[in-house]
Amino acid sequence: MKLSEISEAFKISLDAMLASKLRSFLASLGVLIGISFVIIMGWILDGLDGAMQDTFNIMGADVLYVDKYDWAGGQNWDKIRQRKNITIEQVNEFIDRVENAELIYPTARRWGASFAYKGESFSGFPILGTTFEQSLSPAGEIEIGRHFSQFEDIRGENVIVLGYNIYEKIFDSKNPVDNIVKLNGHKYRVIGVIKKQGNMLFDFIDNQVFIPMKSFLKTFGNFNRSISIGVKAGSVEKLDLVRDEVRGVMRSIRSLKPYEEDDFSINETKAFENQVASIRSVVWIVGIGLTAISFLVGIIGIMNVMFVSVVERTKEIGIRKALGAKRSSIAWQFIMESALLCFIGAILSFIFCSVIVYFAAVYLPELISEKLKFLSMMLPYNLLFWATLVSVIVGMLAGIIPAFRAAKLDPVDAMRSE
Amino acid sequence: MSEMNKRIIEIDKVAKVYKMGTEKVFALREVSVDIHENEYVAIMGPSGSGKSTLMNILGCLDTPTAGRYAIGDADVSRMNDNQLAEIRNRKIGFVFQTFNLLPRASSLKNVELPLIYAGMSGSERQQKAQNALTKVGLGDRMTHKPNELSGGQRQRVAIARALVNDPSIILADEPTGNLDTKTGEEIMQLFADLWKTGNTIIIVTHEEEIARHAHRIIKIRDGLIESDLKNPEPIIV
Repeated sequence: MKLSEISEAFKISLDAMLASKLRSFLASLGVLIGISFVIIMGWILDGLDGAMQDTFNIMGADVLYVDKYDWAGGQNWDKIRQRKNITIEQVNEFIDRVENAELIYPTARRWGASFAYKGESFSGFPILGTTFEQSLSPAGEIEIGRHFSQFEDIRGENVIVLGYNIYEKIFDSKNPVDNIVKLNGHKYRVIGVIKKQGNMLFDFIDNQVFIPMKSFLKTFGNFNRSISIGVKAGSVEKLDLVRDEVRGVMRSIRSLKPYEEDDFSINETKAFENQVASIRSVVWIVGIGLTAISFLVGIIGIMNVMFVSVVERTKEIGIRKALGAKRSSIAWQFIMESALLCFIGAILSFIFCSVIVYFAAVYLPELISEKLKFLSMMLPYNLLFWATLVSVIVGMLAGIIPAFRAAKLDPVDAMRSE
Repeated sequence: MSEMNKRIIEIDKVAKVYKMGTEKVFALREVSVDIHENEYVAIMGPSGSGKSTLMNILGCLDTPTAGRYAIGDADVSRMNDNQLAEIRNRKIGFVFQTFNLLPRASSLKNVELPLIYAGMSGSERQQKAQNALTKVGLGDRMTHKPNELSGGQRQRVAIARALVNDPSIILADEPTGNLDTKTGEEIMQLFADLWKTGNTIIIVTHEEEIARHAHRIIKIRDGLIESDLKNPEPIIV
C-alpha cells in the first residue's frame, strides 16, 4: 500500500461523506448515542467520586466512629436495636483508657428538638452535643467567630456553633455572633459558624449545630440516649492499631465475655465507600448495557450505509480498478469511510455532551437541588479518547465486509453498471 | 510500420470459455496475434464475435482460459488480480466509449488517477497530468469537471488519462461511439498524432469508417480471427 493510495483513500472517503451529509449524519447517529452514553455515565461517576472523596476528607479517612448502630446496615436490625446504649459514663471511661488515638470526641445527637430564633422556629436538622476536641477535628474548622473553648465545655455553658447551611438559612449571611437562639426553651448564645464543607451529595455536615456535651445533656436529658464516639487515629497507618485498641477497651467497658460478640459497631468511612461502590456498579452495568446496544445498532447502521455506498459507486470502483487500483486500495477506501463515519459520530458526541454537561452543571443545581452542585463542567476526556478509539476500530470492522465486496468486483462488470 | 520494431504483445492460441449453467460458451476459440511497438491496429467484428472478450484480455481486465498472453516479458495469463492491476496501471492506457471519468473530480484529478495508484508523489503527479492535458489540447480546462465539458473534451480528458503513465499500448474501445461525426474525426486525428509520436494504438470498433484510420485491421468472427490485413491506404485526417 503506497502513501499516495492511503491519502487518496482518505480523500475519497471524506469526499463521499460530504457528498451525502444527511445520510452520513444519520449513519453516525448510533455511534454518537453510544459514545454519549459512556461519556455522560463517566461524567456522573466522576462527580459522585469527587463528592464522595470530599466527604471522606472532611470526616477523615483515619477516623473511627464507635456507635450503637452499624452504618453499613445489612446486619440483623432487631439485634442491633436491642444493643445497650453507649452512656456518657462509658464514654468518659473510654476517653480515659484509649491511649493510641490522636483525638477522641463523643457526639450525642438530637433530632426534632425545637430550635427558635426571634420567635421563628426551625426544624429538619439535628442538634449535636460534643466536646471541645471536636473543634480540633477537620469537621470543626471555624468560618465565623469561634468554637467553644475547653472551659465552656467543662462548665457546660449555653453556647452554640452553627453548621454553615443552618447559619445561611437562619441568619441570611449576617453576622450571627452573640445572637440568642432557643433550644427547647433554653437560651443559647451563638459564638461561631463552622466552615462550609459539604456542598455536594453528602451535605449533612453543614446541616447541624453543635453545643457542649454537658449543656446538651442538661437541655435534652441523659435518659435513653446513646452517644457516638469519634476516634481520630492520627494517620491511616495507625488505623489498625487504634481499631484494635478501641475494640478491646470498648469490650472491657461493656463487660463482654470472650465468647460474646461485640454489642457496638466500629464505623469507618469505608462503610460509605461500599455503598457508593454498589451505586457505581449499577450505573456502570446500565451504562455499559445501553452503550453496547446503541453501538450495535450504530454499527449495523453503518454497515448498511457502506453496502449502499458500494452499490452506488460500483462504476467508480470499476474505473479505479481498470486504472490500476489494487484490491487493497479499494478495500481501504471503504474501511476508511466507515471509520470516518464513526469518528464523525465521536466528534458530534463530544459537542453534544459538552453542551449537555455545561447546561447540566450550570442549571440543574438551580432548577432542582443545590445537592447537584457536585456535577462538574469537565468532560471525562480519557473516556472520550477510549470511546473514540474503540468506535473507530469497531467502525473499521463494520466496513470490512462491504469493503471486501467492493474490492472483489470485476472491473469490466463494475464499469458497465450505471 | 516497421517490422523491426520490438514485439510488445504476444497472444498465442488464446481461448476464453464462459460457463452458462451447464453449457459452455466459447467467446474466443483460438486466437493468435502479435503486435509490435508503434503499430496502429483496429480490431473489428460484429457484436457477439468475441471482440469485447479479446479487448478485455488485451487490457488485462480478464484472463484467458487457455493459451498464453504476454506483454513485453510479462506473462499475463498466469497473473492474479493484484498483479493484473499493476500491469494495467503501468502498461495500458484505456479509452472507453462512455469516457468513464469520475464525475465529481476535475479533469486534472481524473488524469492524475493512474499516477496515484502508481504511487507517485503529489507534485510530480500534477506536473505529469498537466503535461498530458496540454498534449490533448485541454491546457485551459484543467479544473473543469466532466459535466462542464463537451463530449469531445471528455474523451480528450480520457485520452490524457490513458497517456499519462506512458503505457506500452493505448487501448481504445469504440472511442467515437458516443460522439458526433465531426468530433469523432477530431478524436481520430488525436490518435493519429499520438501514433506519430511513437505510441502503440489498438482501437476496437465495429465501424468500418473508424477502422480505416488504422494501418492494420484484424477482423474477428465467432471467436476466431477472420482476417488480419495491412491497410494499404489509411485515412489521413
